[in-house]
Amino acid sequence: MSHARPVVDAMKPSKPGETRTAPPRPPDGFPSQGNYRAYVAFGFGGFFLFTVSLLVLRAVWALGNGEAAWNRVQASFQNPIYVIFHALAFLWLSWFILRLFRLFPATQPKRIGPFQRPPDALLVAGLSGAFAVVTLIVAAILWGCA
Amino acid sequence: MAETQKKTIVVTRFDPDRDEAPRQQSYEIPVEPDWKVLDALNYIKDHVDPTLSHRWSCRMAVCGSCGMNVDGSPKLTCKDALSEYGDTVEVTPLANFPVVRDLVVDIEGFMDRFQKVKPFILRAKELSVEAGPTRQSPAELDDFRQFSMCINCMLCYAACPVITNEPDFLGPAAIALGHRYNLDTRDEGQAERNKVFREDGGIFACSYAGECSEVCPKHVDPSGAIQQAKLANVIDWLTGLVLRRGEAR
Repeated sequence: MSHARPVVDAMKPSKPGETRTAPPRPPDGFPSQGNYRAYVAFGFGGFFLFTVSLLVLRAVWALGNGEAAWNRVQASFQNPIYVIFHALAFLWLSWFILRLFRLFPATQPKRIGPFQRPPDALLVAGLSGAFAVVTLIVAAILWGCA
Repeated sequence: MAETQKKTIVVTRFDPDRDEAPRQQSYEIPVEPDWKVLDALNYIKDHVDPTLSHRWSCRMAVCGSCGMNVDGSPKLTCKDALSEYGDTVEVTPLANFPVVRDLVVDIEGFMDRFQKVKPFILRAKELSVEAGPTRQSPAELDDFRQFSMCINCMLCYAACPVITNEPDFLGPAAIALGHRYNLDTRDEGQAERNKVFREDGGIFACSYAGECSEVCPKHVDPSGAIQQAKLANVIDWLTGLVLRRGEAR
């Protein structure tokens, strides 16, 4: 998506008309009002996804570079800045995923194969439940490691 | 006798022959409790300032002509009760559209997008009259009925933040309509439409703000249609890749 293009191009006709027109405005209230806030916050979740992905790559790299490197990575996990970042990332990504689950039912066709789509609430509850179970299992494994 | 209530209607004015840029003009008018926003605009046009330009036709939320931004939100002004707003109501032309005059926007760009998705039944071969009518079950009709309720009011385009940044984006209504025909069992034009859907500015340009569905006065849920079209296109592409039989339905 090109963000460099000026707003005035939006909804421009393919052929210029004879009447001079005033340039379009962006939607009122964007990005600070109403549903736009959640949309922008959802997009900002990409920052956490990207940063956490880099940290995971760093840990994987350390795994392949001997015990000393792995111990250094483990020691860095104790850093308060990392702990705060990780807590924030967990909260943000939990909200990010739960919002994704709330949006999910609308993305499904009315019929899935020969079956009617399950009720929206059931889909959201199922996905959220699965997320909670997987999170708890991963937390338990990590707790055991620690 | 109860005193007549008054409201101030702040309207965007733009005369392409005189104004460099749109400006605001306020009108204080008497209003009735059962008025819609459109009634206030018509009152201004009929009794205060005949130079005001705005589009309207059916007055019953069917034709989709009277879409405008009311206090910042895209609304059908013939459906939107004036009593829901405060003493001052701001009416501006739909966002994301060039303004032709006052509250009238240029819809050529919108119509161009509609043409691209081929919003009609496409058949590989026309059926003969002798073959009789093409049958469709209620369940098959129900698959796309919601997406066929669009009245082309363009409110979804005015609410879409992607349109603002991605001028080539097909937009919510056009994609919902294309998806409607892709779901129609009588249609055989999925491959043609899916090519358009997968181009730059097609369905994958949508980042799912969802505001188009919020503002839709007919509950078409265009954002849902776009996400469904994404899923269908991914499956279509993968099927074609694995089975090597080109575009699958």
